[in-house]
Amino acid sequence: MKIDVDHIAKLSKLSFSGEEKLKMERELSSIIEMVEKLPETNVNLNEADASNIMDLREDIVCPSMPRDELLKNAPEVKAGCIVVPKTVEQ
Amino acid sequence: MELYNKSASELSKMLRAKEVSAVEIADSVYKRIENVDDKVGAYLETNYEKAIKMAKKADEMIAEGKGTVMTGIPVAVKDNICVKGYKATCASKMLENFEPPYNAFVTENLIKAGAVITGKVNMDEFAMGSSTENSALKRTANPHDLSRVPGGSSGGSAAAVAAREAIVSLGSDTGGSIRQPASFCGVVGLKPTYSSVSRYGLVAFASSLDQIGPIGKTVADTAALYSVIAGKDSMDSTSLEANFNLSLASGGSLSGVKIGIPKQYFGDGVSAKVKELVMNAAKTLESAGATLVNVDLPGTDYALSAYYIISCAEASSNLSRYDGVKYGYRAENPKSLEELFVRSRSEGFGDEVKRRIMLGTFVLSSGYYDAYYKKAKLFQQKLKEEFKTAFRSCDMLLTPTSPDVAFRIGEIEDPLKMYASDICTVTVNLAGLPAVSVPVEGTKDNMPVGMQFIGKPFADAEILRVAGIYEDLIGGFKTQVKF
Repeated sequence: MKIDVDHIAKLSKLSFSGEEKLKMERELSSIIEMVEKLPETNVNLNEADASNIMDLREDIVCPSMPRDELLKNAPEVKAGCIVVPKTVEQ
Repeated sequence: MELYNKSASELSKMLRAKEVSAVEIADSVYKRIENVDDKVGAYLETNYEKAIKMAKKADEMIAEGKGTVMTGIPVAVKDNICVKGYKATCASKMLENFEPPYNAFVTENLIKAGAVITGKVNMDEFAMGSSTENSALKRTANPHDLSRVPGGSSGGSAAAVAAREAIVSLGSDTGGSIRQPASFCGVVGLKPTYSSVSRYGLVAFASSLDQIGPIGKTVADTAALYSVIAGKDSMDSTSLEANFNLSLASGGSLSGVKIGIPKQYFGDGVSAKVKELVMNAAKTLESAGATLVNVDLPGTDYALSAYYIISCAEASSNLSRYDGVKYGYRAENPKSLEELFVRSRSEGFGDEVKRRIMLGTFVLSSGYYDAYYKKAKLFQQKLKEEFKTAFRSCDMLLTPTSPDVAFRIGEIEDPLKMYASDICTVTVNLAGLPAVSVPVEGTKDNMPVGMQFIGKPFADAEILRVAGIYEDLIGGFKTQVKF
């Protein structure tokens, strides 16, 4: 199967140089050839089990992590905000 | 015998009898790390001062009579599990400088239990791999033969325990990442039932398959560490109260225990010597009272395909958070936001991670979703039903953990061949079952061989119990490293 590497890379927000692209195309094709062996299955996807519902925690307001500590890992911070390149044209 | 050579159970007894202090144990393990980690390369980060501080706290707990099975026991933690004060790099350039501002649920439990965290250990980047060769930060060797891989992705966790650089360790298992390295390194590794350990603070790879689990030199050590990390957590809505009772994980007999041998796990892809050693172990169990039954799991042959579709689909979604904005690697001088995303990701991720993101994106993309992802999810359902049927005629299954012993570093370059090494382990994750890998009696090419007991959901204690009986029957695992 021919894989449209450019299209999948665009969706994945990844870029590949010419040589990398050829290698990725080759490897993806062989991996997909392997996973294609999967047979058709005659089962229905199980509906959610109503007798065994997921136990969600109460919606209670509680302190969250300190902002300063969270921002410590940000690549660039100014005045308590994360800096990114300009996103709106003037 | 040096303290670092002892098991957690032995050390725990000595601690309670005041024959040794937690500080002395931590010191012994740290000296061992200093002496051997140059050649093994298990650790990405260590911190002697922090370890000693935790050990002092453990000694206080013991003095106050508050010690538990894990108090004062040195534990190495895989680098995709958050420990405040340590980085959580996932062995990726993407998170090379990431320091989590919080502890994982399992870390909090270790701290409460008075365990001593020795440091963070190496892995395949984002837990994607079967040899730890995909680490962007370090090479880890198999302590039994330094020219071989330790397995993966929890290669550092298994190598650290095998090389006696930690008494026990935590790993994570998405498709075999605890069991396969445990098997390659001659130690015990448990992949718990899905949902019995909270994933809060575990960096996500494939959330419906990921599970944190323990590694130890003995079954008892592995069970003890598991008893501390299992349990419900409000921060992970998939977690359940596992009701794991440590006292049920040992003792008793094999009488009435039916062990299923699924022929699909003893096929052509598995080395003849590995099959022979695992069947010898099965016979050992039989002569001690267990009954062996043949079971059929025809879906096994296709499990690898379903696994790579589902795990990569989830990975492509989970890893979309690494965009160079809030944390992690950011490319220099991007001209636009789009360029910031694309270049940060392309420069920050390694080849295997990119391959899996691409595969996952492809199987979820418009026009292919039904043909791949949906088909794989349906197949997963069928596989679960196959296991359910098999468990009507037996209590647990016994299979090889890996088709062969640890391969040489650099030996497998083809991604497909590397994926094939997960053939015996991925089914367990797809079905959400517990499985424990233990070393079998005997070796192949002087390397340890592993077998796994696969249990019914939440039968973690029962498979550990039977694994422990096997350990006793063969007079303990003889997988000491040579240095």
